[in-house]
Amino acid sequence: MYPRWLWPTFAAPGVIWLILLFLVPFYAVIGVAFGSVDPILGFAVPAWNPANWNTGWVTQVLGELAPGGIYWDVAVRTIEYVVISLAGCALIGYPVAYYIARHAGRTKTLLLILLILPFWISYLMRMLAWVNLLAPDGYVNRFLIWSHVLTSPYGFLDGQSSTVIWALIYGYIPYFILPLYASLDRIDRSYLEAARDLGASPFRAFLHITLPLSKTGLLGGAVLIALPMFGDYYTPNIVSGAPTTSMIGNQIDLYFHGGPQPTIGAAITIILSTFLLILMGYYLWTIHKATKELRSI
Amino acid sequence: MAGGEVKLISLVKKFGEFTAVDGIDLEMPGGEFFSMLGPSGCGKTTTLRMIAGFEQPTEGEILLDGENMAYTPPHRRNVNTVFQSYALFPHMTVWDNVAFGLRRQKTPKHDVRSRVDEALGMVQMDRFAKRKPSQLSGGQQQRVALARALVLKPAVLLLDEPLGALDAKLRKQLQLELKALQQQVGITFIYVTHDQEEALTMSDRIAVMSDGRVEQVAPPQEVYEEPATTFVADFLGVSNLMTATAEGESDGRCLVKVGDFELHAGRGDVATKGETRIVIRPERVRLEPSDATGENFIPGMVERVVYLGNANQVITRLAHGETLQALVQNTGDELHYRQGDPVKVHLPSEALRVLTDTGVAPVDESAAAPVG
Amino acid sequence: MSESAVSAPQSKQSFSLWQRVSGWVVNPWGRPRFLVLITWAYMVWAIVPVIIAVQFSFNDGRSRTVWQGFSTQWYWSNPDSIWNNAELRDALVHSLTLAAWDVLIAVPLGVTLALGLARWRSRGSGGANFLMLFPLVTPEIVMGVSLLLLFTQLPPFTHIHTGGLAQVLGHVTFSISYVVVIVRGRMFSIGREYEEAAADLGASPGVALWKVLLPLLMPAIVASAAIVFAISIDDFVISQWLSSGPSTTTVPMEIYDATRAAPTPATNAIATVMVIVTLTSVVAGFLVWRAFTRGQHGAKQSTMRDFAAFDV
Repeated sequence: MYPRWLWPTFAAPGVIWLILLFLVPFYAVIGVAFGSVDPILGFAVPAWNPANWNTGWVTQVLGELAPGGIYWDVAVRTIEYVVISLAGCALIGYPVAYYIARHAGRTKTLLLILLILPFWISYLMRMLAWVNLLAPDGYVNRFLIWSHVLTSPYGFLDGQSSTVIWALIYGYIPYFILPLYASLDRIDRSYLEAARDLGASPFRAFLHITLPLSKTGLLGGAVLIALPMFGDYYTPNIVSGAPTTSMIGNQIDLYFHGGPQPTIGAAITIILSTFLLILMGYYLWTIHKATKELRSI
Repeated sequence: MAGGEVKLISLVKKFGEFTAVDGIDLEMPGGEFFSMLGPSGCGKTTTLRMIAGFEQPTEGEILLDGENMAYTPPHRRNVNTVFQSYALFPHMTVWDNVAFGLRRQKTPKHDVRSRVDEALGMVQMDRFAKRKPSQLSGGQQQRVALARALVLKPAVLLLDEPLGALDAKLRKQLQLELKALQQQVGITFIYVTHDQEEALTMSDRIAVMSDGRVEQVAPPQEVYEEPATTFVADFLGVSNLMTATAEGESDGRCLVKVGDFELHAGRGDVATKGETRIVIRPERVRLEPSDATGENFIPGMVERVVYLGNANQVITRLAHGETLQALVQNTGDELHYRQGDPVKVHLPSEALRVLTDTGVAPVDESAAAPVG
Repeated sequence: MSESAVSAPQSKQSFSLWQRVSGWVVNPWGRPRFLVLITWAYMVWAIVPVIIAVQFSFNDGRSRTVWQGFSTQWYWSNPDSIWNNAELRDALVHSLTLAAWDVLIAVPLGVTLALGLARWRSRGSGGANFLMLFPLVTPEIVMGVSLLLLFTQLPPFTHIHTGGLAQVLGHVTFSISYVVVIVRGRMFSIGREYEEAAADLGASPGVALWKVLLPLLMPAIVASAAIVFAISIDDFVISQWLSSGPSTTTVPMEIYDATRAAPTPATNAIATVMVIVTLTSVVAGFLVWRAFTRGQHGAKQSTMRDFAAFDV
């Protein structure tokens, strides 16, 4: 009906843009990371020809990421923060998503609006809100002192890992709950009714039917927030100023914005990206297996 | 309106490895109500879409009044379609929907107005001109879709299962309206459906299709009473298909052996020999008392009687094992035969047809009692 | 009907302590109270801090933590207010400018890409689709680093260098995917039949696209514009990495810098302004979408889905 060349032609401008401004920049990172550093002035000398690639810097950075290296602590801490935050998001987010998807009834629309709301409130505003609340004279400290839990203000914002983790959970949980809600909402009510009809208690019905069916939603939500969380640097910077809570993103940030050493920064970026690609690949493979299972039914 | 003759010549359509239409030759003279009937997947919709221009044939020709339009884009063919889902433009009013095609033809404004009003009047939708499609019921949308297509005075109108989404009563009403409309307007209607009752009611001729091929093309009566293949026999109602061995002709009729019984089949390929099938319509089967004798009488036992209101379906198991369905009109008298009664089944030879293709296998009729 | 309503009524028996406690938690005859509690607690936790921050933007006094009375000074009169503080004012203007350019460029690119991807049937389309989805899962810092290095190290892109133009280019790059996902979703629910009907009635492919498909796509296009606007305003990482100095700071950058240094309620104020702009944009897009798709099939569920989770 339409000429065959029409649709690729339509797609072309967008594709060209994405190639030039999304793919090519990765090449810029590679060129810098596998380049060299001017010995006198210290700026990066990128190597655009693969024949001239110098793996020295990347190898050095990889070495420092091993136990004992200067980036080891940061890497371990980042993984800790991400894993704990993911767990927190799941523990808090699952019941909420579950309730809204399956029980909410008349308040469902209101709850959905409230659920979507943080999505559209700027991340920085949400962090600012907590910076105000956690300040020495902020409401949290004042409440804790008033209720006699503390006797003097606690330095929540003074380089505390727990604060960073709570901030990460707070910041990313909306992005986790929504896909989870979507997948829970999709589960057909009649599966559960059939299970109850066959004698399962509500808890068993949940355990054996709802939970497994929501696994893709859980996994999807986890991947959706883990990926950006690994690159987060602004959250630790806002709710903690200290190097003792820095994540790998902070490391990269330092190498570009504080006494620039772009070559090292690029090297870390490449290693981080590769790690995330592997994670993403694993996720896609699991999904692929799961859909194959479903299709074989 | 002259013409409107459509010829399909060796039409083939392949989607990758899958062959949807496997060499079709059809001739539809102008002014005819022509139906393509078959189960889903038989290729009827694909064929229709090729005539409309939404699919390009892999091989073959599509002639409209002698001219091959297989490679003409759909917007340049003098053929219009009524879609299964009506496809009325949601963002336009009923009036603008019907006017759409005329405006593409750059018809002058006052002509547009008069023709649109006329078309809407013809389908009794003139009161709804200012409404949007979402404000109409299914039947109403159906009529607007018709008006939209017919206002352009095409040579041929294509209808893709247009009544599929409507409830039974509305469907019957619209079947009659469509048939009347076609006779009034006089152009060729090519109608695709899987509902054999619909095809039988409305068509001048029916093409029964299966697996991308045409099994038989004939007027409704012939397709029903004289099916050419077992598929056609079985698709149009209950066929009482039975396995038999033919032993050639004997004074104008075919001698067939069904189990231990010898029958004379008066219809079909009477000279054939070898393994065949025989068919007889349930309404032609006569039930006789179990002590009666005669030609084409087979002993059996009534297995089940299904009350249909206007008739009774009597399912009998014959002595050689196969089951047969008889349709006994409800005349007000009580039915003589009840479940478990022995009976003689009479298959009048002028109603018994022998078919040489063994394509469709007999089904145990007692398992599912199709209403036909 | 809750899944627990199907259980048969229990015979009268005395309940053990465990049964009584778990009965409160999992109430077989009504709403599970524990879940209700957690859900509403979450909602309060998620939203109330922001409300408090907004409240303090109206504080009569310099504190962001101690309420001193109501005043709009941080918006108007105070020398450090948004209105008077050139830095904040410029950041606001710059944010709005970036967002406007982002919409103007990303929406047409995204719409054409969506059209192409939704209909393109040959081998290249899978790759193009993957390319389009990639930015959605790339961490912003990776994009920031790569764009920065592109504009500072790789000729001929070095002519662009960092600054406003670089920021626009960066914003467009991550915005296109959102437009595609929204518009393509709408295209799938529209289907091909209307264009086929248009062609059947004599419309050439161009006319069919222009007079039938595009009007039907309009709600999605407007909604995606609203979303791109909102995303651009809220963007922090890309803007920061491609900024060339004080003249190219955005509101999120100002907030970030302020929270690490010496925030005043003016910070709250400008954050409030940003939130209002973003929410207005999103709500406007949603309302336009709903107004145009009323009565059409597939409208309600796709609205929620498009505005909530990007169900790629």
